[in-house]
Order: sequence, then structure tokens, then C-alpha cells
Amino acid sequence: MHFPTASATLRPVRLKDTTRKWAYASLHGKYGDDAVKNACVHLDDITDFEKLSDLEKYDKAIQSIAAKAPIRICPKEKICGSATLGDAIYHVVPAKYKGEYFCGSVSHLTLRYDKVLKQGLDAYAQDISKRLEDRLLTASQVEFLHSLENVIDSIRVWHSRYLTATKTARPDLYKLLLQVPFSPARNFHEALQSLWFIFAFARLCGNWPGIGRIDWLLGDYLHRDLQEGLLNISEARELLASFFIKGCEWIQSNTPTGSGDAQHYQNIVLAGIDESEAEVTNEVTFLTLDIVEELAISDFPITVRLNKITPLALKEKIARVMRHGGGIVAVYNEDLILQSLENLGYSKKEARSFANDGCWEVQIPGKTDFAYMPFDALQIFNQVIGLTEENIPVFNSAEEIYSAFCRSLHDTIQTLYRSNVEEAYVCKNSGWQARGKVLPSSVVSLFEDGCIVHARSYFDCGPTYVVRSPHMGGAPDVANSLYAIDNLVFKEKKITFADLVQTLKNNWEGNELLRLYTKNHYVYYGNDAEEGDAWHTRLLNDFADMVDSFPAQNKSPVKFIPGVSTFGRQIEWLPSRCATAFGYKKGEILSGNDSPVPGTDLFGATATLKSYCKADLVRQSCGAALDIKIFPESLNGDNGITALVAFMDGFLSLGGFFMQLDAVDVQTLLAAQKNPQKYKTLSVRVSGWNARFVTLNKEWQDMIIERSSQNLH
Amino acid sequence: MLPVTKIQRFCTKDGPGIRTTVFLKGCPPHCVWCHNPETQPQAAPFFYCDNLCIRCGICAEVCSAHVHQIIGAEHFLDRTACRQCMKCTQACPTGALEKCSSWLSAQEILHEVKKDAAFYGTTGGVTFSGGEPTVHAEKLTMLLDLLRSDNIHTAVETCGYFDADLLPALVRATDLFLWDIKDTNDRRHLANTGVSHHRILCNLQAADTLGAKTILRCILLKTINLNTEHLQEVARIYNRLKHCEGVELIPYHTLGASKNVQLGQAEHAHKDWIPSREDMDKATAFLKQYVPVLSS
Repeated sequence: MHFPTASATLRPVRLKDTTRKWAYASLHGKYGDDAVKNACVHLDDITDFEKLSDLEKYDKAIQSIAAKAPIRICPKEKICGSATLGDAIYHVVPAKYKGEYFCGSVSHLTLRYDKVLKQGLDAYAQDISKRLEDRLLTASQVEFLHSLENVIDSIRVWHSRYLTATKTARPDLYKLLLQVPFSPARNFHEALQSLWFIFAFARLCGNWPGIGRIDWLLGDYLHRDLQEGLLNISEARELLASFFIKGCEWIQSNTPTGSGDAQHYQNIVLAGIDESEAEVTNEVTFLTLDIVEELAISDFPITVRLNKITPLALKEKIARVMRHGGGIVAVYNEDLILQSLENLGYSKKEARSFANDGCWEVQIPGKTDFAYMPFDALQIFNQVIGLTEENIPVFNSAEEIYSAFCRSLHDTIQTLYRSNVEEAYVCKNSGWQARGKVLPSSVVSLFEDGCIVHARSYFDCGPTYVVRSPHMGGAPDVANSLYAIDNLVFKEKKITFADLVQTLKNNWEGNELLRLYTKNHYVYYGNDAEEGDAWHTRLLNDFADMVDSFPAQNKSPVKFIPGVSTFGRQIEWLPSRCATAFGYKKGEILSGNDSPVPGTDLFGATATLKSYCKADLVRQSCGAALDIKIFPESLNGDNGITALVAFMDGFLSLGGFFMQLDAVDVQTLLAAQKNPQKYKTLSVRVSGWNARFVTLNKEWQDMIIERSSQNLH
Repeated sequence: MLPVTKIQRFCTKDGPGIRTTVFLKGCPPHCVWCHNPETQPQAAPFFYCDNLCIRCGICAEVCSAHVHQIIGAEHFLDRTACRQCMKCTQACPTGALEKCSSWLSAQEILHEVKKDAAFYGTTGGVTFSGGEPTVHAEKLTMLLDLLRSDNIHTAVETCGYFDADLLPALVRATDLFLWDIKDTNDRRHLANTGVSHHRILCNLQAADTLGAKTILRCILLKTINLNTEHLQEVARIYNRLKHCEGVELIPYHTLGASKNVQLGQAEHAHKDWIPSREDMDKATAFLKQYVPVLSS
């Protein structure tokens, strides 16, 4: 029973052997394989199904899922409820009519769980009844509120099935379910069960919500239990381990390869300050890290909110988890993000509650309808310089090129604004709402603040906030291209602009010496060199200016905010990209997120981090992600921990936003590519998510290897 | 000006925390296992990496001393003719030719090492290594003083083979010495490094008397010094010191061997000298009975 590590330091053993064995089985696909056998429910026996409205069809599906989905109770589990329908793994409502899915599901959000824990689900039923008394509600609003009631009724059905299943066989679980989730949780164990039950039901219905601030949600319950002697810390760790092991229930033993199997956006956010500015870090923070450190569970990507008062012990703990590899823990710069959120108009109190969308895009959890719109800045740039056009335009300086590029970039943002903000919502008598038809989403709407009050669903301006974010990909590629053109064409005059573009059209054929010169003689973005970084800094700041120039707060409820990412799209974009002016041929892997182009980062992790931090990242309010790879050997010993802590401190003081750090040994990745059976649970950080390396297809694996092989110190 | 072969950022093995390590050229001993042969005084001025060379001939065109000749698929080098103009390394499009060292002023070195000041905190800092940095004692001391005035922690990795008169100034200016104990058997020491260890050990003791903080760094080579006698002697040395923080055991590796080839020297890769993981664990466990062994 081996939990993989990239470190020379062995993973600690704190959990019971039986718990570890259960985790091992779950990580190797025991429950995921079961789920696939029971893929979905079938709605063919429902009379006149086709005549029902979309929302009515959805309601029927939720009822059916609650009534028919297989019940699973694992022998070692200490909380119950399982998302047992395999099609939910593929982001749909796992229900078919005449062999077809009829409804998609929801992701990129974190639900509001604290209210369920504190007030119980019955309180929601009362809120809805009260809201239905409003005679000014439209028919569609009434229909929506009834749909929310249907969700509660369905959870009740599912809950009663678990009550029946546990009454004799597992009285410990039965006792928990008698209280939660319908009544308030009274202790840590009940709170954990309540949280899991709601999360699992949302997942059972095909949704992929994040968990958010688990230590903030559960910390007080545990603290009280520990003080009163109801639990000791080892018992609490065992209970919490159930949550994490059950969270692996979608892992299959032979997952079809693609962009990785652990990307169900079940992100966890730890630490940071609460609404009253007190540091949250508590026993649950450390227990969570204990568990992933021991069991190498990467299915809950964790992001820790670091700030000036983060305890040293927590930073050291993060470092200990980080150096095992797998990219399980990433970090936020809390102070910078709070400032960014306040700049967007959130109150201080609201800003302090931030988590993310289940990946790393910052949001106010349980209150936000969020979506991002990715685009490839490099393709815009290539079009501007005539690389994808028949005619090559005339430019007399890099400044002229940049100005033309900015005009096109602005046009792209404007198009996104029009389609996703201006034309997407309309203000009528009953308030702001979506202009077109929206996907039914009552399960997640129930747990989003604002949906009951507005009597509108998640996609229909129900939540308190609606956020749409254009996400720029390829920023480092554009910056490097500008830097190379400026030097090659305008400063050193080694080639004319037209000839360079023609050379790029020819994929550098016939000009290999110049290509090598370009590749090897300039110091590009990611090396803490002023000239190489300057275009990148400027591009990010100008992008923020452009996005900010579109009206949001006054005329529409939608916040339109900038972000920088690729989330692995550098692979998807490859076929439509061309050779680059910085010496890369068509088809070569380029920059991921806001990280340097693989192969151009020459001076190690600190230089890369400094380059990234030169942009005013407070203005990238949705986030700008930096991926850092470190050779595991350099993190050995006590000084490895000291160095990682110092690296995190540097990230904070220099003004980073979000950093995902992975300890990767390229030789191990190559071995895993060659012999996947031997490395089935080896995890890597892909982007905002983790994946078992062997579940990535060849292109994705190559990308990870490529970006991991460069200049690790 | 100082001859610098490399300034490497984000070093985690050259002292506490995150460090920037400055490698200086020049070294009195000549260890047969040397990992940084480019720091030897007589080392060639440039690396040539055959794998990266595409035989474009540009180096031959720019070199008036005719060091480079491309004949067919071969790149011939006559390093003895080199006048160190370095035009070839500047012109090479692939990076196959790379300058081994540069003369940098104290200000230039300071500018480079301060780039990572945000990561040093109270633990990390700057380490001078080599070669043997004390070869440049006067300028080194000046740099150490300047760094200290900026509250940057300093470390000097030394083989300990230098004039004892240098000690007071060095000890005053340096926060930590990483002191190499290459071997405790003087016959072997002389044979493998070209110098006796008496001076090294005397300097170490004298530095300790002056209050120098030290960490003893001991390279272990199988069939040479990987034995209990050597480890016991290391423990004895440690126990004679008042300010030594512990001992680091460093396994010999062959990662530097390719540098020999790139400098036009015979390859010095002795695979039989590489200790196994088990060897290192045993040596660590043995030494730990007597002294603090720091993880490296």
C-alpha cells in the first residue's frame, strides 16, 4: 500500500490502517467503477414527459435521482451519502429520456453551506413558503420557487432512504441523519455529515460545486468538541478523513484519458481572515493538510489564503505537503485579493469571505453566478501582424504593432462584453433577469444567496452577484513575440518585418540560424530581466484597463472583471497557432496560464515569480495564475521546508495573486508515461485542478513533461 | 573585479533558506572529483557542448585565432590558440559555446545577488563558493561587509586552504562558513586534492576560536573515504569545535562530469565512487551517534 511522493521524506502515517486501506481502494477506482455501472436514471415511464416545461422535466429528474440512485454505505465510512450515478462524472444531470440526456449541470461555483449547518434544511423550506406569499411574483418565479421546494423534497426522499439503510446496519450513521441536514448541526461530526450530505446530493445530480472554506465552516464545531472532551484530535482526523476518501468516489480504475480525471472543481480554501478580521486557521486547517499529506489525495485541490499573520506553523505545514508533489496545495495572496475585491465594490466584510469557483477564480462563495470567457491573445496578435492573413501589414516599430494589437484586443473584449453582459440580461419590472432561456439549476440555486429573495435561478440573476470574466490566454507568448520582433527587426535589423512574418508563415523553414539566435540570445519573460518582462507587464496592465473601461456596476448587475489563464487550452489552441517570433515552431507547447513559455525560464523559480509579480496583479480581479515547478531534490531536509516558506513569503511581499507549486521529477513522469500501471495514483497539478498523470492523454502528458523539464534548480 | 563563473539563484543546498550562490574562479587544491572544473585557474575560458552544435561555422568565421574549424560533420577545437576574445560565444546561435566566467565588479555582483532579497527573509542570503572564494579574500571581505550592511546573511563555502592571516577579517565579515572536510586521512587528502589537510584543520580550529559559525561539509566517496575511521575522525573534529552547527554528508555524484568534457578535459566520472542511498543512510546513522547530522 503505497501513497506516491516526489520527496525523499516519507509520507507520515497517522490514520488507522483500516482507514488507509479504504483510501487506497477508493484511490484505485473501487467506487468509481461501481458508479459507472449505474450511470443514470431513466425517465421513460413518465407520462407526457415531452410536454413538460424544461423546469418540470428537471424536477422530475431530480425526484427520480433521489428515489432511484443506488445507496452506498462503505464499511469504514463515518459519514454517509454517495454520488453513485456515473454520468454525473461527465457534467450532466444523470437522467435520460429515450436514451438521451436532456439537461446539463452546473460547475464553477461554491455553494453556501454554512446556513445549512447552522439552520438546517428545514429553514430553507420556511424561507421559500414565506417568499411564495408575495403576490407580485410572476408565474415563472412561482414555478421556480416550487422547483426549489422540489429539491428539498427530493433530498428528503434520498435522506429517508439512507435512514432506512442505516437504521439497523449502522446506528452511528443513523443517529447523525436523524439530526442533519434538516436540523442544525450540534457538533463536529454532525456538521461534517451535514456538509457532506448537501455536497454529495449536488454531485449526485451532476453538479460540480466547490467546498470552499472548510476550516471556517467546521472549525468552531471541532474546537468546542475538543474543549468539551467529546472528541480527541485523532478521532477528529479519522472523521475528516472519511470526507476526503468519499470525495474520491468518482475515481475509476481505468479512466478514459483526456485532460485528467480529478477536475470536478471540488476545491477547498483554507485559512485567511474571517468577516471580523480574525484569522481562521484552526484545527480543521491542520487536519485537512494532515490527511492529504498522508493519503496523497489530490481530488480536492486546496488553496490556502496566506497573509501577513499566517502562522509560521501553517506555512511549514503547507511546505511539507507541497514537497510530496501532486500540486495538492496552492496559495492565494489574501491581502492583495481583498484589495482587489474592494476595488470592485464588495464591502470589506463580503470580500473577507472570498473563496473560489472550485478552481482558482476568486468569488464570493454561495452568492455568485460566475462564468469566464477564455480567448487566445496570441491568435489575435498573429492576425494583427498578418501571420494568418494573406497580406502582411507595414509596421515601423514595435510600438505600432502593439497599438494595433491593443485595438484588436479591445474589440475582442467588447464582443465578449456585448454577448455576455449587455445582450445577456435585461431589466424588467421584476428586476434584472437573463434575456434568453436558461438552464434549469434548482439544486445549486437552493444554496445560493439571493435566489429565494429574487425568486430567480442561478442563471437568471438569482444570486446576489453575477460575474463574467474575460480570461486572456497566451499573454507571455504575445509579450515574448513583441520583445523578439522589437530586437530582431527594429533594433538589430537582422530581418525586415515582412520577411520575418513570411518566415513565420513558413514555420521558420530555411531560416534555422536566425530561429536559434532568436531562441537563445534573448532573455524572455520569466527571468526577472527588465526588458524581457516589460511587454508582459504592460500587456496585463493594459488588459485590465480595457476590461475596466466597460460599464458594469451602474447599468447592469454584472461585474465584468479581468483574469489571466489558459487552464491547459494551450493544447487546444495549438492547431490554430503559428510559429512564433521568439523561435518556437508551430505545434510546440507555449505558455500556460501566466507562466513563462517552457524552455525560456532560465534562472529558476525566484526569477519567474519576480517577473510575474511585476504586473499590477491587484487589477486582475478574477485571478492570474502562476505555475511553478521545483525539482523535489532541492526541497529535501529541513532547509527544503525553510526555503519553501521563504518562497511563499516572497510571493506575498512581491504582490503575487495565485501560485500553484508542484514538486516534479521529470524522470518519474517519463517512467509513468512508459509504465502507467505502475503509477496509477501519481498526481500532478494540471492547472486549477489536479489529475492522475496516467489519466491525461499523450498531449497533456507531454505538456506537463515539457513544462517540468525546464531549468529546475 | 572578480572572476565569476556563475551566480545561481534559488539555491537550497548552500546554507540556510533560499540563497543566491556566487561561484568564483580560482582554487588552490585540485580535487580529482571536482564538480566545478571551470573554476580551476587553468580551466579553458569557454564550454563547448557538442550536442548543441549544428556545425554552422559562425564561430570559425568570427575567430581570428582559428580556434574553431568545421570540417565535414566535425567541429575541431584548438583551445591553445584561444586569445579569450569570446567572440565565438557571443556569435554562437545555439548556445553550444558558452563563456565560463566573467569579470564582474563588486557593484555588479551586489546588484545580482540583491535581486532575490525578497526571498531571503531572516534565514536566507548569499553564499560565496567556487572554486575557493578566499583566493579573492580582500574583495570577498569587502562584498561580505556590504551585504552585512544591508542585513543580508552571508555564507562562505571554503576548502579551508588559505593563509591564516586572512582569518580575522573573514570571520568578522561572514555569518556562516560551510567548511569542506574532504578527507581526514592526510595521505589520501594529499593524493586526491594535491594539498595536505593540516592547514585546513588548523584554520578551522583557529576560525572557531575566533567565534566563526561553521557547518562541516563532507563529501563521501565510495572506496575512498566512505568508512567508519573517516566518519569517527569527522566526529572528533566536530567535537573540538565550539561553534560548529553540525555536519552535512554529501554523496559524490557525476553531474559535473560533462563539464570536464565541455572544457576539453578528460571525463572524470567515477561511477564506482557513488555511494548508494543505503550507504548514505548507514553513514548518517553512524555519525548521528556522535554529532548532529544536518540534512543536505
